[in-house]
Formats: sequence, structure tokens, C-alpha cells
Amino acid sequence: MGNVRNIGTIILQIIILSIFYLIGTWIQAFFNIIIPGSIIGMLLLFLLLMTKKLNVNWVSEGSKTLIKLLPLLFIPATTGIINYFHLFSGRGVLLFPIALSSTLMVILIAGTVSQYLGRKRLRNHE
Amino acid sequence: MNNILIGVLALCATIIIYYFMQKLYKKWSNPFLLPVLTSTIIIAFFLLIFDIPYQTYMVGGKWLDWLLGPAVVALAYPLYNQWNILKTYPLSILAGIILGAVIGIVSGLLLTKWLLFDDAIIYSLIPKNSTTPVAMEIASSLSGIPPLAAVFVMIAGIGGAVIGPTLLKWFKIHHYLGRGVGMGSGSHAIGITKSMENGEKEGAVSTVAMTLSAVIVSILSPICVYLLM
Repeated sequence: MGNVRNIGTIILQIIILSIFYLIGTWIQAFFNIIIPGSIIGMLLLFLLLMTKKLNVNWVSEGSKTLIKLLPLLFIPATTGIINYFHLFSGRGVLLFPIALSSTLMVILIAGTVSQYLGRKRLRNHE
Repeated sequence: MNNILIGVLALCATIIIYYFMQKLYKKWSNPFLLPVLTSTIIIAFFLLIFDIPYQTYMVGGKWLDWLLGPAVVALAYPLYNQWNILKTYPLSILAGIILGAVIGIVSGLLLTKWLLFDDAIIYSLIPKNSTTPVAMEIASSLSGIPPLAAVFVMIAGIGGAVIGPTLLKWFKIHHYLGRGVGMGSGSHAIGITKSMENGEKEGAVSTVAMTLSAVIVSILSPICVYLLM
């Protein structure tokens, strides 16, 4: 029976998260904001958690489950590539090295800056 | 066949394929066996061979797709949980993430613009370093192509997870702060998986980087487009 209750809790919490998502999309549509509704919902939930207006136990199990399932949820979207294969032929092949080199720059520079500043802070405290 | 049956079939097939691909990945844990990548290839191959339109598959696929929204909302939970790390090193982490976000957007935008790619392709490439649901939402709000954005996100994630750790080693980025911020900013959830292999601290920093970077990229993308396009 414990298992059934667990699944019930998870489903209920996913419904709570869905409500935040819907509120986020409404806010986005109503104020015509360019930030995605899901991000607005996330910030809203984060705000309520930080100000203790909402107990973290109300969303923890549902959140863990959805985050664990994230790769599965991506699949229908990524399968959409089959409609866009033509974009990667000919000159489009260049899009691969562009995306890759840009990403490696992000990793290297973001990493270097954070490590440099983090170490400096650590030294100042010692 | 009626729509509900098609939908249930598509849904079950996706879940079953993902289940086995995850088992495969756990056995060999090679970045190229990433479940999203292998499952997508199998399903795409299947649809192409049997000449099934993507729209038909999406009758069931859209149910999973919709859940991406609540899944992004759920990222508030790790962010809340790891707030302590962020509080200890706010400037070091934030500076790295913001600079990373700007570099990712601007370099992608300028490279594709110089090579004269269509606007829709440029807009789809811009958010590649954020996590898929966010990237797709950003692409759609910039009038890019969301599924194409998802493909670029996969290139950023897998490419970064394969090459990133070696690159960081070459440039002597050994501290968990630097490695975590780098992997999370560049390669989102796939980078986090890689960071977790180096311990919980790096994984936590990486999660913070991905989450904050998603927010920052979604704010900066329209601004950069306005300034540079």
C-alpha cells in the first residue's frame, strides 16, 4: 500500500508543478513577456520556497521524479529533427562545428572565470 | 486506427525504447550512448522506414512533451536545495555563468550570421547551451524552430560532455567550482551527469549553473538579438 500512496503523492505533486507551469504561461501571455512561461513558473515556485510560503515537502517528490524523467520527456521534441534533416545538408553541415566550438568556448571561459574568482575568495578567507 | 490508439502506441513505444537505452547506458556509460540520443535515433529511424509522419507520432508524443513545462518548474527544487553553495560563492559562480551565457549566445549568433544562415536557424541556435525545454521555448519566442533548437542543444550537450572534461584539464581547471560552472553552463543536464561522476559538490555547482544559465539565457537572448541582428 505504501507504494500506491507514494505514486499518489508523486502524481499530486506533479499536478501542483503543472499549476505553476500554467500560471507561468498565463503571466507570460498576459504581460507579453519574452521569458518562457515555464521559467516564470520556476522562479515563482523558487520564490515561494525561499520565503517559506510553500513547504518544500509539497513538491520535493514530484520534482525529483520529473527531473529523473527529463531525458525521456526530451525524446518527442528531439525526434522532430526528422522534419529538418534538409537543414543539415550542404552548407548546413557547418552548423555542427559552429554549435560545438561555441559550446567549448562557454565551458572553458565560464570555468576559468569561476575557478579564478573562487580561489581568490578562498585565499582571502584563509 | 483511431487517434487514442495511435497515441497510446507512440507513448508506450517511446517509454519502452527509453527504458532499454537507459539500461544500455548504465552498462557502458559511454557519452555516445546517452539515452536521449540513442532513443531519438531509433524512433526517428523507425518513423522514416515505415513512412510515419512526425505529426502522427506526436499524437502520443505531445503528452510527454507537455510535461517538459512542469519539469522546468521542478528545477526550482535543486536550486532551493543548493542555495548554500550559491550563497558561499555568489560572485564567482554568477560571473562565470553570465559570461558563459553571453559568449554562448553571441558566438553562436555571430558565427551563423557571418556564414549567412537563415534567421530562423540563427534563432534556433542562440539558446543551445540551455536545457532543452528552455531552449525550445526561447527559440519559439524568437520565432526560431523549436525542434531544431533541441537538436543544437543535443550537440552542445553531447559534444561538451565528450570534449569538455579534457579541455578543462588542459587549461588546469581542477577546482570543482570551475569545472561545475563550465559543464553546467555549456552542456546543461548532460554536463551535470558528467560532473556528478566527479563528486556531489561539482554536480551541485553544475546544477546551479544549468538552472541559472537557463534563466539568464532566456533574458539575454532577446536583448542580444535586438542588439546584433
